[in-house]
Amino acid sequence: MKTITHTMLLSCLFILAACNSDQTQSPSDDRLSALLDQPWNKITEEAESSTVNFYMWGGDEGINTYIDEWVTPKLKQQYNITLKRIPLDTPEILQKLNNEKRADQEEGSVDIVWINGENFKKAKENGLLAGSFTEKLPNFNPYYDTDSDALQTDFGTSVEGMEAPWGKVQFVFHYNQTKVDSPPESFKELKAWIHEHPGRFTYPNPQSFTGNAFVRHLLYKHASEPADIYNQPLDKEQIAPAAEGTWNYLSDIKPDLWREGNHYPNSLTELDRLYSEGEVWITMGYNEARAESLIEDGVFPDSTRSFVMKPGSIGNTHFLSIPYNSTNMAGAMTAINFMLSPEAQLEKLQPSPWGENTPIQLDQLDPEQREAFKNVKRGESVLPQEKLETSFLPESDAAYVDWIKEQWFNEIAQN
Amino acid sequence: MKSLKTKPYLILLAPGLLFLVLPFYAWVAGVGESFGFEDSPTLAYYSDLFHSERFLASLGFSLRTSLVATILADTIGFLITRWCYASLTTYAHRLTVWLPMLFPHFVWGYVVILIVSETGVAAQLLEQWGWISSEAFPVLTRDQHGIGIILTYVWKEVPFVILMLYPVYATMSNELKDVVATVGGGRFQQFKTVEWPNILPTLFETSLIIFSFTLTAYEVPALLGTTFPEMVSVLSYQWFYSSDWDERHLAFAAMALFSMIILFVTLIGYLFLNKRRWLMTKGQS
Repeated sequence: MKTITHTMLLSCLFILAACNSDQTQSPSDDRLSALLDQPWNKITEEAESSTVNFYMWGGDEGINTYIDEWVTPKLKQQYNITLKRIPLDTPEILQKLNNEKRADQEEGSVDIVWINGENFKKAKENGLLAGSFTEKLPNFNPYYDTDSDALQTDFGTSVEGMEAPWGKVQFVFHYNQTKVDSPPESFKELKAWIHEHPGRFTYPNPQSFTGNAFVRHLLYKHASEPADIYNQPLDKEQIAPAAEGTWNYLSDIKPDLWREGNHYPNSLTELDRLYSEGEVWITMGYNEARAESLIEDGVFPDSTRSFVMKPGSIGNTHFLSIPYNSTNMAGAMTAINFMLSPEAQLEKLQPSPWGENTPIQLDQLDPEQREAFKNVKRGESVLPQEKLETSFLPESDAAYVDWIKEQWFNEIAQN
Repeated sequence: MKSLKTKPYLILLAPGLLFLVLPFYAWVAGVGESFGFEDSPTLAYYSDLFHSERFLASLGFSLRTSLVATILADTIGFLITRWCYASLTTYAHRLTVWLPMLFPHFVWGYVVILIVSETGVAAQLLEQWGWISSEAFPVLTRDQHGIGIILTYVWKEVPFVILMLYPVYATMSNELKDVVATVGGGRFQQFKTVEWPNILPTLFETSLIIFSFTLTAYEVPALLGTTFPEMVSVLSYQWFYSSDWDERHLAFAAMALFSMIILFVTLIGYLFLNKRRWLMTKGQS
């Protein structure tokens, strides 16, 4: 028995050791560069009658419907490409790619991955992406402001053409206008409101995506300029004053939060449930239009409206990328190019089924298209475009997310 | 192929081996990661664990919660079986008792939230009947004492305890009790000398299963746990999916540590039980 265990342990060690191969030129790098040397029409030709596996987070019915009932049939019709949507949480997709990378698997099953922020950083750092490809897309340069901060960096990580902008969302707060007369206009007013209405406000645990973004707003607020945070890589000493202000603010409101701040909702879903039951009067979310579908489903009251506060609201762009071991890069590029087209972006902006903002630059479109974009009615709970644009603040370095997770736990949760 | 006909159990060998080898490989790989085998073996991750206040707090909380849940489930399950095993012979009764076993743990977690959360069914009923004023309902889910977690597990595991103990009671001979009674033993003596030695091995096994499961399962504490303290499974999940892949080693170390705790408890338990058995055969119990 002992020898068997030994042999197994040894073989396992060998397997682990074998995974440790160096990361120099691999067949997949050649695959992409060979493709990029060809003219675009050759690429779409190669993509014809192929299948593209699109791995994406599948937790939103509206998004799934947009892909399944609009994008997929259009791609079939225009390029004869079969788009297969595979729902999976992004960290798990990366996990899968990372395992494949460690096993030196050059033929993967993922062709497109929906990604941004810390996931992009992780994928880029671990060499899980194919490489720079956006310059090749015919829809990228003409319609997008390719030099803008929002497209050049993704949560502080340089994009370098490794992912193509697909959509844009902005953080807003939601309130019930029958219960809250006038929503706070700044974080200072919010603090006063919380003290006046004990137990009616809380924010999700910053281990969750939404809660973390809420705390980032406070960090922006307590810096002398929001740009001090989003234009800088994380430097703990430099941001110490802003951090102190943030933790003081959060400790100050803690006793008047829902359940005296002893428990923070584990997820946005939990906060939304509290809001829909009327336990708390304000909720929030990283999507300026998300209340529309929730009102329609009867989860949120009809009187739900949204607001943003000074110094602004954080927004981000999310992207489509190609993994290093995709076996159908031509198909992936064709599909991504289509999803970036004004036609696809306009449909995505319609409140039903998805209703998501576009990263497209409206003044780079022809007048007719621009009019079409401007005429989309996004719903009463969505703030006007100007308001959103004037309050827009870019995302910060992805390292802040982890730093906040840890610090918040030490400074707020444990005390 | 002839051997397959004469020895049909060989067919089961392949899937059996697969089911053993895959988890075993995963376990070995996981333990390997906890020592940072990719680079050079190190104990740094374990040392990090024991220097992390957050981990130590959640370790204590996890052990306490699991222990309380296990003891409560054992006690209630044992009492129900002891008092009701005669009526459990009918299918209808047995089905009622085992009903919670049909639901996955996270579904049962939601059921608990629906019933005993501050705005749940129980709170609404009590308020309607005028027994409590609104907002007076105690916080029983996502609380800092793990009440919600314990409640879910107890509710879910009591049927399991009954399932395990019922056959023992169904086959236990009553004559032995009569013997004890004849020589002047009271009800406690009957229990101690006849019932207890009979159920102890099964009860220990059951407790071990419940304890290990409660200690390491993720979904119930994720649903019903609070911000602080958190169960180790929740903390490990966060480490595992953190964007800093270095923290993954911590998740592996925490889980490897738990494997060791469970193995250790199992070992102690079996040694103890075997010793008892050995003594029993010598007639010195």
